[in-house]
Amino acid sequence: MSRFRDPSTISFQYDSVRRCIIASYWIIIALALPLWWKTTSIQRLPLPTSEVYTQAQKKLQIPLEICVDPVFSSQVSSIHASIRNVASYLEVNVNIGQHCNQSAGYAVLPGDQLLIQDRKLYYPTTLAVENLPSTLVSLVAPEMDQRAAQYSPRYRLSFTLLNEDGSAGQVVTGWDIRQAISQYISPITSALGILHNFTIESQVQFHAPLAFEPASLADGTYGLTPENLTVFINSAEWTLSSSSSNDPVLHFVLFVPSAKRRPLTILNLDGNPSSSSAFLIPQWGGIVILNLPAPPPTTLDLTLPDLRSSFSPFSRQLLTLLGFPRLPPSVSSSSKGTLSLWQIDSLLRQRTHENVVRSHDTLRSTVTVVSQIQGMPVDSQVQAQVQGALKALHELFAFARTNLSLDEMLVYSARALTLSSKAFFHPGMLALLYFPAEHKYAVYTPLFASAMIPLFAAAMREVKAWRKERKEAKAKAAKDVAVDGAAMDANAVDTSQ
Amino acid sequence: MLRTGFFVIFLLLSSVLCLEDTVEEFQEQLSFKSLRDGRVASTFSFKTLLKDATPRDPQTLALDNDDSQHYTLFPLTLGQILRQYAITELHLTLNAGKWNYDSWGYPDEPGVGVGAELWAWMADGSSLSIDERWQGVRNALAGLFCASLGSLDEQRTTSPRLSFPPEGSLPDWGLPHELRHASHASEHVCTENLTPFLKLLPCKSLSGLAALLNPHRLFDADWHGMSLHVLWRPVGIEMRLNFQLVSDPLRISTNKKQDWSFASLFDRVVEKACPVAKSSRVIVDLPTYGVYRVHPEPSEILNGKAYYDLTNSNQVWDIGTMWPVDFEYPLSKPTEALLPFSVRRSLFGSTQDRGQLSIVVTNNQNETLQMLYLETMPWIVQFYLHTIRVHSDDIPSDNLVSNITYVLPVPHARPATFESVLTLPGHSTLTFTMDVAKTFLRYTEHPPDAQRGWDLPPAFLHPSYSHRTDLPTTLVASIHHPYLLI
Repeated sequence: MSRFRDPSTISFQYDSVRRCIIASYWIIIALALPLWWKTTSIQRLPLPTSEVYTQAQKKLQIPLEICVDPVFSSQVSSIHASIRNVASYLEVNVNIGQHCNQSAGYAVLPGDQLLIQDRKLYYPTTLAVENLPSTLVSLVAPEMDQRAAQYSPRYRLSFTLLNEDGSAGQVVTGWDIRQAISQYISPITSALGILHNFTIESQVQFHAPLAFEPASLADGTYGLTPENLTVFINSAEWTLSSSSSNDPVLHFVLFVPSAKRRPLTILNLDGNPSSSSAFLIPQWGGIVILNLPAPPPTTLDLTLPDLRSSFSPFSRQLLTLLGFPRLPPSVSSSSKGTLSLWQIDSLLRQRTHENVVRSHDTLRSTVTVVSQIQGMPVDSQVQAQVQGALKALHELFAFARTNLSLDEMLVYSARALTLSSKAFFHPGMLALLYFPAEHKYAVYTPLFASAMIPLFAAAMREVKAWRKERKEAKAKAAKDVAVDGAAMDANAVDTSQ
Repeated sequence: MLRTGFFVIFLLLSSVLCLEDTVEEFQEQLSFKSLRDGRVASTFSFKTLLKDATPRDPQTLALDNDDSQHYTLFPLTLGQILRQYAITELHLTLNAGKWNYDSWGYPDEPGVGVGAELWAWMADGSSLSIDERWQGVRNALAGLFCASLGSLDEQRTTSPRLSFPPEGSLPDWGLPHELRHASHASEHVCTENLTPFLKLLPCKSLSGLAALLNPHRLFDADWHGMSLHVLWRPVGIEMRLNFQLVSDPLRISTNKKQDWSFASLFDRVVEKACPVAKSSRVIVDLPTYGVYRVHPEPSEILNGKAYYDLTNSNQVWDIGTMWPVDFEYPLSKPTEALLPFSVRRSLFGSTQDRGQLSIVVTNNQNETLQMLYLETMPWIVQFYLHTIRVHSDDIPSDNLVSNITYVLPVPHARPATFESVLTLPGHSTLTFTMDVAKTFLRYTEHPPDAQRGWDLPPAFLHPSYSHRTDLPTTLVASIHHPYLLI
């Protein structure tokens, strides 16, 4: 007798048991598939794509009514055309009226000198009347300064007094910042309060080294070349940025050069010292260089008169950074020093237009990106933000012609802009951006291919075996029938014999 | 043309007064202590006082427009964080190494627990809840100090009832103040944390005593740590930045001398005074044994301490102490204890599911000592309070532990807080043991570098809970549990 058992007598080698085992694998895989599908799928709520595209096609038309005295009636069509030419977002309506001086809107009246007062422009009849359209264009739609920062409902204004090297002899230990701000900056921030909210902060630093050596000049002074100005900000050493808020910051830096490197001047392109000690970094802020006198005192506290030479450049720089348009040089304002309504209104219109264009772009990019990248999740917050931005734009477009004032329009456009950029930069949208389909296959193939091949092979073999068995069984059955028949024949033969 | 311009500016400036503005004050101080194992402990302390300032009332957080903030000596970046989250009092420490109380005595700055520790007092009553502000301040400080403070989340945050009383005063707004405390023992302090620390100082590391803060030497020290404390007293808001280190001159020097000086410890000397420091002084604790020489000659010696005044001095300073004889390690354990009590804390048990926490406290003095004992544990370690056993000199004496407060841990959400009062009779050793269970972790809950195991937070002992006031306020007992892993 053999020492080995016949494999077919071992319980787990029964065909049925083996097939059950193999089938259970497949059943588990089949059951797990929906679970896998559910756990790896992402939430993609529908976005109002077609609405966004329709909205993005639209152009905002801000109404602009100008009442022109009959004296200038010859220029009406020219005014209309030239304004439309530079600012297609304005829906210009020029009327000729007898009582323009009583209207609350914009009015062009004859006057003794080229003067603006409230929303009225006094244009002397002695001047060439052909220049009236260009003067009006520069008042209602001046070109936006490229150095202006992008619109934001909130700004932080950060004033920094930097001593290049406080231990080198002379040091400015303080400044009368509150007074300087209330005198030079607050008039601007309160006049532009309808556009932006401002938060003001200031600090003093006693060691603020430059990252480069200023050029030493023949007369013993030092100079900053135009190339130096581009790398003036030493962000590694100067702690200017604030980490606690996402509001854009406009920096104003009062730089006191070290006693060893004084006086420090700004050089023109030709290498000669410039008369100005201030320069502006577009969309970032302004810098003023303050050269202290050579002899002692060793410690100084800057008072308001000392700060005048630095803060009047700062106030001009602030206006430039906020995109505040300048008056054409020939036009004088009746309210000296304060910001005229013509300028504020044109800034409001420009910012509204800019915000609408930017929110259109952002919304369009959002829906395009979402439709292009299939693995990008869209949660309810993003959906709500996109819808909110669209709603603000709808309302703005619906009421722009009828009953919205300029600052209400700006509020709508700012809301649309804020919501659309929140949606675009929503952190949840990034979740699967870096986990593309290719990545999935790269993970799944090495993992599952090796596991699936034996399973497939086993299943195939079993199917083959089962079919073979069935065939054999059939053949056997057929043979049995044939044998029986033969036997019967034999019997018949037998009987015939 | 240029000259006349300067002349005009000069005329303008001639009206300027010297700074008599006492709104902000900055003081710096450095103290040294020679330790009995031959090491030297140095403590840098930079104090900025914002006179007449008060913390922000949290009720004003709801207002959209914040007041403007103007600082001269106080760092703006920190001021913004404190205002934005209306923090009344804040303490942050980042340390590396285990403070050896038995041979080094009590530290100048009490917070010496290993890793990061952050606690803050905040008033309730704002539109933002305390927990939202706590999360905000954690993240803002993490950004400011380049440290993983963001991980001090609700899984590590506790609010012990008695252990962390406010160091300063709490303003009377009629609002309840609450404490949030969190510690993270695996967060190690390094150069990337020192750079932002130095940027908070008015003179950075370019002049004054801060010029000695040379990262190569600081992080080579046997123990080092930095801390930030902001608190309010009726006189104003006080900010203290400290750096504490224990260096080993015997390791640095080629001979067996205990000598140290600025140059030998920090590889730097003080060359320039910080122009805005109201006072700048160095204090050397004179050794109580042996023959030594302190150089240069101190300006004052008082109560066994040598004082140097470096305020606005143009001199080069290299202060140090020299010994004529070689240092000899004490052969036996010194009989005289440095502290009125000593403590050992350990976690026993090699299995993956349970263990035993043990703390052994020895009272070195004749009087009975009462101390507040605080144990906080992440939920991965669960206490079995019914297994608490207290032995005093090997005699079971459960009555020595009282006033137990226990906040249960919530898995994946909240740590455990155990607070109690221990009573130690004179010259006795108290052994406190408690069984703990180690929970099963999901695979995502394991820390990176999982083979290292977990760093468990330190325990705190506050002996000042008794009526004596001359005792140290807090003692920190740190342990690292190497293989708590599934």
